[in-house]
Amino acid sequence: MASITITINGQKVPAQTGQTVLEAARAAGIDIPTLCHHPAVKPIGACRLCMVEIAGQRTLQPACTFPVADKMDVKTESPKVVEVRKFVMELIFSERNHFCMYCEMSGDCELQALAYKYGIDHMTYPTYVKGYPVDASPPYFLLDHNRCVLCRRCVRVCGELVANHTLDMRQRGASTMVQADMNLPLGQSSCISCGNCLDVCPTGALVDKRSAFMARNAQTEHVRSVCSQCSLGCGIDVVTRAGNLLRVQGDSDAPVNRGLLCRKGRFEPLYEKRARLLAPLVRTLDGGHRQADWNEALQTAADRIRRTPAAKVGVLASTWATNEALYLLARLFVKELKAGKAGLLHPVVPVLSDKLPASLEEIAKSDCVLVVGADPAQDHPVVSFFVKRVLDAEGRLIVVGAPASPLADLADESFGTEEIRKAVETARAASRPAVLYGAGLSERVLEELKSLAGKALLLPLQPGVNTFAAAKFGLDRIAEPSGLEVLYVLAGEEDLGDRILGKIGKDTFLIVQGCYGSSLTDRADVVLPMAAWAERSGTLTNTAGLVQEVRAATDPAGSSKPDWEILSLLAERLGVKPGASLEEIAVHASRQLQ
Amino acid sequence: MGKVTVATDWLAACAGCHMSLLDSDERIVGLLDLVEFTSSPVTDLKHPPKEGVTVGILTGAIANTHNIEVAKRMRERCQILIALGDCATFGGIVATRNLAGTEACLKRAYLEAESVVDGVIPDSPELGKPLETVTGVGDVVKVDLFIPGCPPRADAIYYALSELLAGRVPVVLPPEHFVYD
Repeated sequence: MASITITINGQKVPAQTGQTVLEAARAAGIDIPTLCHHPAVKPIGACRLCMVEIAGQRTLQPACTFPVADKMDVKTESPKVVEVRKFVMELIFSERNHFCMYCEMSGDCELQALAYKYGIDHMTYPTYVKGYPVDASPPYFLLDHNRCVLCRRCVRVCGELVANHTLDMRQRGASTMVQADMNLPLGQSSCISCGNCLDVCPTGALVDKRSAFMARNAQTEHVRSVCSQCSLGCGIDVVTRAGNLLRVQGDSDAPVNRGLLCRKGRFEPLYEKRARLLAPLVRTLDGGHRQADWNEALQTAADRIRRTPAAKVGVLASTWATNEALYLLARLFVKELKAGKAGLLHPVVPVLSDKLPASLEEIAKSDCVLVVGADPAQDHPVVSFFVKRVLDAEGRLIVVGAPASPLADLADESFGTEEIRKAVETARAASRPAVLYGAGLSERVLEELKSLAGKALLLPLQPGVNTFAAAKFGLDRIAEPSGLEVLYVLAGEEDLGDRILGKIGKDTFLIVQGCYGSSLTDRADVVLPMAAWAERSGTLTNTAGLVQEVRAATDPAGSSKPDWEILSLLAERLGVKPGASLEEIAVHASRQLQ
Repeated sequence: MGKVTVATDWLAACAGCHMSLLDSDERIVGLLDLVEFTSSPVTDLKHPPKEGVTVGILTGAIANTHNIEVAKRMRERCQILIALGDCATFGGIVATRNLAGTEACLKRAYLEAESVVDGVIPDSPELGKPLETVTGVGDVVKVDLFIPGCPPRADAIYYALSELLAGRVPVVLPPEHFVYD
């Protein structure tokens, strides 16, 4: 890279060799219109809207792919450029249905904005006559080929970033179409419904089914938060209108995932079917439940806990909770009350290296990835995109102890855990190895993996969500809910009923703090309703130890309260004062996380 | 100087564009001091006068042979022709018929629709023949000014007429004069 100077529209502009004309212009605050260009993917010069006049070049050149050179003289809005740009737009409008009046994207469409900018007031070429198919087969979105401008942004995101290679183009010229696999309906194709193509589509061709026609972007509010579906801690952009959830989008500035999301994070939380708990419940004498106010419910719980010998009190936590809630839970039950049992419902993966990757992009830079005892495509889908990118870059993928996982199908080699040494030696021979490992591995396997520390990136894939933080607060092992007089379950959004109900004694007084009704809350003596994923504020610690802020996008449903607040109120009733505000508790929590 | 004469007519249209013209509200009274609306679908006189008008306004798409006749007659009788609204500009909602084909649309509407009893596709010689392809007015006659919108804003129509009255060529461009959202 060397600093050079180019001239754009008569203005001297600094640039770097290796930059494209578009990059240099945008860095200097000069806008060149684009349609197929997207900063997240490689430029391909497909739409020809960024054509510029470059002195010495025989024809106009696309700014998005043309490299700068010293003393280059560029004109971005000369009459010749504008004429060609309008012509290109007229050609785009001559194909397919670009009638704005009944399009979902109208108002937020990049093609429409360009047409406004260049004063397109009618269509020069004959109006469209051919209908194209609408592929509504995927569960969460649809692909309307009528609105497609063949910019290939979706194709490039699907291939370059998600490395799933479902989308591609078929045919040539006017017959060119976006297709899934070998021309299958998307719903029957290899599409994994990650929806990252929705975030980049410039027109109304890829539309989120749930939020379609519900708001223009200007009518919405965006809240940057962190996904609550697994332990990766991907940044999300929660879109609401007047307090109603519309959809989740990728946050391209998010440090962990750089805007990429998966089906679990983007779509599934919005299709939640379970009934929300809207008010505290206490058990009635006839065995049913009745609504109570917070005061009564908390007092009932606190009285019962105070009356019971500490050894007979137990607490079970879902790692779905925030740092603040888990900190309070550990402080209250373990440190202050000295409960007989305290723990989690799933194992914690040991951290084998003190250098954990801040961004998943570091995984993609590896030349050999070892996946041990984990199925990231299923449990931590976003990291699997970065693993598959390694394969695209001709790196190696070795899967150990997960023979039936989707990544094992793609792997160069697949071993059983007894052959861990072979896998580790292959990784050691690579120049930038990375290891992703899951829960439940034997000491021997962990020892082998640990021998790669210093050489390889060792990323534990924690089950649950906030497991890293839970372990730091001392909730680091599985606890059984048997043999207790009082059991407090912090369930969050998890449905734990089938897993623990049978183990809870008949006479155990059960207090459940959760978001949804379940067989567990049916059995509970006190139910404390807590705020769900989009309604809570606080912090979460991801599987690499990164603490990130979760921000509420909507108000808590009914009279439910944030997880930390419920525990803080309960603590007060038990004579423990851990801090009055979220900030104060967050300070205590973060001290323990370091 | 006499008043500027304006004639309007509609083709395959929903009347929304004419409603939008009336949405100029009380400004239209001021306009009447300078303009004479000779004929329109909403006045007693329906056809543009033989002696011609200064400004002709057409709304609606070209969907049948009658629309072509009306468009050509307006073109012959006016000096400046305005295509008003999305249908006149590029076919609009009416052009979605192109996706299914005229034949299929006629069948669906007159024979197969759930409410039809003993349906017949109308074929009186008095009626225009539906065209295979719906187009904007510009595909049939020369148009001097396009004012898109569904419907176009009353402000855009008022602005275009005022500019013409002032002897200027109106520049009706987005986003000042039309946006779709």
